[in-house]
Amino acid sequence: MNYIVAASTDIGNTKNTNQDSYGVRVYTTIAGKIVFAVLCDGVGGLDKGEVASGTVVNAFCRWSENRLPKLCEEGITDDMIRVEWANLIDEYNEKIKVYGKRSGVKLGTTITAMLITDKRYYIINVGDTRAYEITDNVRVLTKDQTVVEREVDAGNLTREEAKNDARRSVLLQCIGASDSIYPDMFFGETRSDAVYMLCSDGFRHEITDDEMFAYMRPEVMLSSESMKSNMDNLIDINKQRMERDNITVLTVRTFE
Amino acid sequence: MLEIGSLIDGKYKILSEIGHGGMSVVYMAINERANKTWAVKEVRKDGVLDFEAVKQGLVAETDILKKLSHPNLPSIVDVIDTDESFIIIMDYIEGNSLNRALSEYGAQPQEYVIEWAKQLCDVLGYLHSRNPAIIYRDMKPANIMLKPDGNVTLIDFGTAREYKEKNLADTTCLGTVGYAAPEQFGGMGQTDARTDIYCLGATLYHLVTGCNPSEPPYEIKPIRQINPELSSGLERIIEKCVQRNPDDRYQSAAELMYALDHYEEIDDKFKKKQKRKFASFVAVMSAAVIFGASGFVFDYAATKKASATYSSKIKEAESTSDFDKKLQIYEECIAIPEQAGHKNAYLGLIQTYKDNDSVFSVEEASQLEKLITNNRQELQKSSADYTEICFETGKLFWYYYDYGGDNQLTRATNSIRWFEEVINNAPENYENIGMAEVYANVGTFYRDIKTDVTEASDKGKYKPVFDNFKELIESVAMDKSESEIVRLELLELARSAIQQYATKFKGDGVSRAEIDDMIQHIETITKGIVINDSDTVIKEKQDNILANISDTRVSVDTSYGTN
Repeated sequence: MNYIVAASTDIGNTKNTNQDSYGVRVYTTIAGKIVFAVLCDGVGGLDKGEVASGTVVNAFCRWSENRLPKLCEEGITDDMIRVEWANLIDEYNEKIKVYGKRSGVKLGTTITAMLITDKRYYIINVGDTRAYEITDNVRVLTKDQTVVEREVDAGNLTREEAKNDARRSVLLQCIGASDSIYPDMFFGETRSDAVYMLCSDGFRHEITDDEMFAYMRPEVMLSSESMKSNMDNLIDINKQRMERDNITVLTVRTFE
Repeated sequence: MLEIGSLIDGKYKILSEIGHGGMSVVYMAINERANKTWAVKEVRKDGVLDFEAVKQGLVAETDILKKLSHPNLPSIVDVIDTDESFIIIMDYIEGNSLNRALSEYGAQPQEYVIEWAKQLCDVLGYLHSRNPAIIYRDMKPANIMLKPDGNVTLIDFGTAREYKEKNLADTTCLGTVGYAAPEQFGGMGQTDARTDIYCLGATLYHLVTGCNPSEPPYEIKPIRQINPELSSGLERIIEKCVQRNPDDRYQSAAELMYALDHYEEIDDKFKKKQKRKFASFVAVMSAAVIFGASGFVFDYAATKKASATYSSKIKEAESTSDFDKKLQIYEECIAIPEQAGHKNAYLGLIQTYKDNDSVFSVEEASQLEKLITNNRQELQKSSADYTEICFETGKLFWYYYDYGGDNQLTRATNSIRWFEEVINNAPENYENIGMAEVYANVGTFYRDIKTDVTEASDKGKYKPVFDNFKELIESVAMDKSESEIVRLELLELARSAIQQYATKFKGDGVSRAEIDDMIQHIETITKGIVINDSDTVIKEKQDNILANISDTRVSVDTSYGTN
């Protein structure tokens, strides 16, 4: 499998800091080309959310540099990825908590990290950042860990009500602020001629799936430049519609 | 940062740091002249974005708090405003937070939790009754100190209230907002005293189960699902505290306090005792006519409460899958004072006897009979309800009663008196009156026929019973909504009657065509009943009938053929 990657981030309309962080790497390994992508949305009542998101993105990128060659030799399995990533998240949950205590601030971050190999993709998710697969339709691969998502599951809210619920930004857990973290893992088959997309919640509140499809379907995502400009267009639409949050989006286009 | 060993305001010597808050540090200090320890809370300028706003809030807040005096609250004795920071001097509370107790020892003993709950409830009541009311909004184990004497103190009062409001433009995380009540996220109305009730409920849940409601699976389950040893009374209290809609919670700390004081009384185990107590209470009340007026008020309140308990228990029974438990709850329902006259619990019992093992045992029979007989007076107040119960009980005996040996006859005869009760008590136009008469007639026939035969007075009794069977087959056996057991039992009763009394039917003028017709009917209906192969007992009944059909025909042939 071959890949083209692109990413774009914007501080948005109202915030003083951009607390989103992302990282994406394409590796050539003995097991073929592999993409590792990670996106974190910092959470902080105070202005330290970017510390948490940056720290976790760096930790995951370092993990990909150090561990992936070894894992490729051994053959990557779901369990292996699950254990390594969950441990990493536990470790940084503790580290960020200690930092927060020491400096008297509350901070945390979400994470969506994705590993794409020839055959299979692996996703870990905490909070409300998302992974999408765009082929001939738009499909969300992750499940938000938010209060409203839980309320929808419990039948207390409809999808429509959830969009405007006052609690839509309340996460069930996040790295650095919860006692223990229970990440969700998602696995699936990598498809060729698809677009895999990670985004922060700021990117998706104001735009529809149809708009995502129009701007990011595989047919219009043909080079790194065109991908970036399409994503920037969507970010502009978001800002015109008065999105208040930071906006970040990262895409991986697959082809044979 | 205050330096260890430094002297604040010329009085308080900083001894050590004892904790961090979101934007503050707490130190232990000593007033050497008075030889008394204090807690010193420092809100640092550099820890807060807009210090001036925070400070104004703090000043307003501490001014209120300085006026508070309650055994479960730390007192604020002094507020010092310096260039670098804002310092609050308050009681030093010895001990550990309940959060720490939870992480070290897990779930806390129920009796302790209830005692703490009462103290916390008392504090909340005190705060809510200030003018203006103070809403604490941040009840959680981390904010409750357990002192060495076993009492608790609510801490973390120094931070400005404004900063307990969640800023919704930002993403927040459940773990950091404590056990926020739904309305604390905004958009669902104002936070008020009932918000504190919610958070206290969530706190009690965490303490007594060891499960943090703000961690997966993020829900507050009935506590006995986690630990069946816990009190059902406490379970109800917690459930009521954490209702989503504030209107469904306890409306005040006083209401919650009352429930906590009486939690054992809404406990299941207590219910039975309560019935006896209530009986003696009623006896005393009726003797003391002079207290009639106040007696009425009390009685009314008790009835209202009892009827709410009754319907909630019926629901509980309906949703339980454990048969013994179901039976127990229904019995408890009947035992609730003033509620013995409602039909639901009896009908529930009857259904449960059937569903259980399709056997209405001798023990169960005596239990049900006792309940109905003891409460007959209450029940008869509504003749429709009483009639329905009697009709169902009659059918229960008729089809399910399990009394050794050849019990088809025993069943029929035992059910007579219930169907007679139906006939005697039925309100006008009672739909099942005809059926009751048929059952009663057939039952009476079986009961009396032996004696009648001996006395040779049986002639003329067979034709009516044959007609009764015909009616039963048409209205019950052909009714596909009836249970398979009922239909098959009836078919078998009719079949065996024909086999046994063929000659008698003939003698009483039942025609050959009629009797052949009935056998044909029995066979067709029996074959038409679809039974799951796994229901072996029912399947056996069906096979039995079909296997005996030819014998029955032979018997009819013999009787009618020898004409």
